[in-house]
Amino acid sequence: MNDFLSLLPLLIISSGAIILMLLAAFEKSRLETASYLSMGFFAVAFFVQLLVGCGPTIVIFNNVFNGMLAASNFTQAASLIILACGFFTAMTTHSYFKVNHFSSLEFYAIMMFGACGMLLLTLSQELITSFIALEIMSLAIYVLVGYNRSNVKAAEAVLKYLMLGAFAGAFFTMGTALIYGGVKSTKFVEIGAFCAANSATAPLILGGTFFIFVALLFKAAAFPFHAWVVDVYDGASTPVTGFMATALKTAIFTVFANFLAQNSGLHGSWVTFLFYISVLTMFGGNLIAIGQSNLKRMLAASGIVHSGYLLIALVAISTEHFTGSVIAYYLAAYAAGTLGMFAALAYLGGEGEKRCTFDDFKGLAKVRPYSAAAITVFLLSMAGIPPTAGFMGKFYVITSAIAADHMALAILGIVSSILSMWYYLRLIINMYFHKTEDTFETKESVFATACTFILVFCVFAIGIYPIVI
Amino acid sequence: MFEYALSVMIFLPILAGLALFLFPFSGGASRITGFIVSIVVLFLGIELFLGFSGTGAMEYVESRAWIESLGIRYSLGVDGISLLVLMAGSILFPMVFTVFTTRTKGYYANLLIIQGAMIGAICATDMVLFYIFWEIMLLPVFFMIGIYGGPNRLPATLKITLYTISGSLLMLAGIVYVAVSYHDQFGKWTFDIVELSNLQLGGGMAVLAFFMFMIAFAIKIPLFPFHTWLPDAYTEAPSSTTFVLSAIMAKIGVYGVIRFVVPVFEIELARFAILLSLAGVVGMMYCGLAAIAQKDMKRMLAFSSASHMGIIALGVFCMNVQALTGCLFQIAAHATSTGVLFLFIGLMEERMQTRNIADFGGIAYRAPIFATFFAIAMLASVGLPGTSGFIGEFLIILGAIKFSGFIGFLAGTSLIVGVCYMLWMFQRVFFEKPGEGTEKFKDLTIPEALTFLPVILLIIGMGIFPQPFLKKIEPTAQLHIAEVSVMTKTVLADNALPIALDTLQKN
Repeated sequence: MNDFLSLLPLLIISSGAIILMLLAAFEKSRLETASYLSMGFFAVAFFVQLLVGCGPTIVIFNNVFNGMLAASNFTQAASLIILACGFFTAMTTHSYFKVNHFSSLEFYAIMMFGACGMLLLTLSQELITSFIALEIMSLAIYVLVGYNRSNVKAAEAVLKYLMLGAFAGAFFTMGTALIYGGVKSTKFVEIGAFCAANSATAPLILGGTFFIFVALLFKAAAFPFHAWVVDVYDGASTPVTGFMATALKTAIFTVFANFLAQNSGLHGSWVTFLFYISVLTMFGGNLIAIGQSNLKRMLAASGIVHSGYLLIALVAISTEHFTGSVIAYYLAAYAAGTLGMFAALAYLGGEGEKRCTFDDFKGLAKVRPYSAAAITVFLLSMAGIPPTAGFMGKFYVITSAIAADHMALAILGIVSSILSMWYYLRLIINMYFHKTEDTFETKESVFATACTFILVFCVFAIGIYPIVI
Repeated sequence: MFEYALSVMIFLPILAGLALFLFPFSGGASRITGFIVSIVVLFLGIELFLGFSGTGAMEYVESRAWIESLGIRYSLGVDGISLLVLMAGSILFPMVFTVFTTRTKGYYANLLIIQGAMIGAICATDMVLFYIFWEIMLLPVFFMIGIYGGPNRLPATLKITLYTISGSLLMLAGIVYVAVSYHDQFGKWTFDIVELSNLQLGGGMAVLAFFMFMIAFAIKIPLFPFHTWLPDAYTEAPSSTTFVLSAIMAKIGVYGVIRFVVPVFEIELARFAILLSLAGVVGMMYCGLAAIAQKDMKRMLAFSSASHMGIIALGVFCMNVQALTGCLFQIAAHATSTGVLFLFIGLMEERMQTRNIADFGGIAYRAPIFATFFAIAMLASVGLPGTSGFIGEFLIILGAIKFSGFIGFLAGTSLIVGVCYMLWMFQRVFFEKPGEGTEKFKDLTIPEALTFLPVILLIIGMGIFPQPFLKKIEPTAQLHIAEVSVMTKTVLADNALPIALDTLQKN
């Protein structure tokens, strides 16, 4: 029964996706109804997930699924984040599609299929399941990115993402095959046991892990596989970008952490590699972000930087007492800030996302003080200024790095967040310290603003909510 | 009733400020709200001061678990070190709301948030809590300078923000390092400063962490050579913000060194004491000389403020009771005198639309009360006997001579520079023949005079009768110095060099 409960959120979302798909087939419902329905499904799944208690680790349906899925506090937290992201994205799209008319009913169904893949990915404890979940998620996201078929940028984005994503998927299968060749199993636990008993540097294991890392780093937008991020995020419609930037990243980092945490030998031998990857990700992302004049591109690049911080947490995870709380907390903090930012951009952007650069938001504070204040809160959270969630997230990441004896990494992380102040402050300066040039007339629904202000609240609430390390 | 006095002093202004932002208040209503809130805080501050027993330990302690897994607590307290800084933060604020009467709601709301955050930083005894308030207090300053500042406000805003944020983020790493070392040594997590002071640190990492802390505080103070943001920020900021920055925020930098660096990094501080006190003295001298050359009154005062912060910081680095007591006293004394001077300059700018020294002249004939008040504040700032500025600087120089004759000599000499620029400025602005605009210079109105009078009286009172203040801070200063271990003391007495060699050998 407990097993069933742990899977319930996933089941709710997948049945919701199917119901929406059927509704779309009958062409009986309106777009708004579909968005309410998907909000409802996400909300119900969220509360179910909240009520389902989880111990440290529960293997779900050990007999039926052969230990391929496992739930824990960490996966519970991750799926809460993903469900919340889905809910807020549905809210955002509700008003976004009032001014941008390219959607059809299937949009919400596909989004929920994507969420299914993500939820499955957080639970998976085995490489093939991970691959299947990864592909369910990715296929849905490909479609969402290219949803606006009349937009050239979206077409370019989806082509890039699809081609490179397919490569990443192929790498993942290749890695799985190699590891299976070495270990005779694809379960994380057994890979860990094998590495503990033998060496983690056997050629098959080494090569297999490398390929899997390539795939995961690609999806996580880490250096050197980050080149697609800026174009794809820019080309996708704003709510989709928000969903990608938060929910997808949560799922990827959860499975990444699960994979590493089960393998102390593996973690030990790859720690230096991950160290350099995280440093390069942070600084590469910063360099890209500093040069952007388009907000979505800047946020995309800042998403790369945040992946770098999450990689710091991965470097520092303790494989003995793995709880994943630092990673989950950072993901939640990051998701609240980023989603809020995209929610605000989605309705402030107006028709066809015409307001999209730093300069377009000059003087926003004088015309729409509350929206400007909300954006400021999100930016400060992303920059890691107290008392926001982003600060506590960064604080935990730095603490875990220093506690794991990676002082250098902590300092580099801090230097990178100093650099990132530049582009976050730039928008705040434009909003507050410049003269108004635009009237900022928009036609948003009450959902868009409600979503933004709930997320402001979340940023502060997560910030004072303590975690257990 | 005063069990939660500190929490009220922190969160009442912050919540009032946020409420002003969220709801449609008019400028006037916001000013009155701000005034009432700051009066409440003032009242609580005075009650706190009178009820403070001066045992040397923390009083008015509030402590609650917050993030238990890391031992982070919501803990507040006041002792002799923070008492006078706290006083400066609570007593001076109502003036801002009475002097500047015609501003918008955001102006007053920001000021309230600054006040709450500063009091939070002063009272926090948990390092993480301190850090949070320390960062929060910068945000309203950022908006104040950026929105209400002078014509070159944008670069000034960016400069102060990037400077201070870089410093404080480095400090964050330092804070975490200290807590992690404590965890390694004692097996539990805590960020409480009293417990962290038991820590024995050593080696290269400790030096690194020490510099992370020192750079953050040196930027805030500002200590030479990290002072370059100061002239621009002070000049471009609206007068109320300059007042806050110079009178209280800079002091929190010094306070931070005393509270957080001295107990944890006593050995590192001893090793670098000579270097740091030289930075203090050089800063004094350099900023003093720069002040002589300024044409803009506010800029001149900005340099003067930086110069005086040099001597206050010097009081910490000497690490003896006299210098530390003097430093704590001077924090309050300088807050009152410089704070009032910046407000006066704000007033003059409002009346004359200029800050150029050359445009003034003969104000003393038109506005005798104003001139008298200004003169008292100015003389206190240069440290004339009989004013508050004398006691503190005297004690610091005494301590400095005890620490090193050379440093003491330099500090004493550079005070003369201070007298030069201040008196010369006073002569050009208040005497000589009246300029074009000064003919119509209005004297202080009665409400304005009544606003400033208590502070002017305080300046004189602290100068003539310093004992009630010294009595409250001295026990803590003694305790604080005594806690600095015996080894460090002997080391200090000899010189800083042998210990450096000694530590090198040990490593």
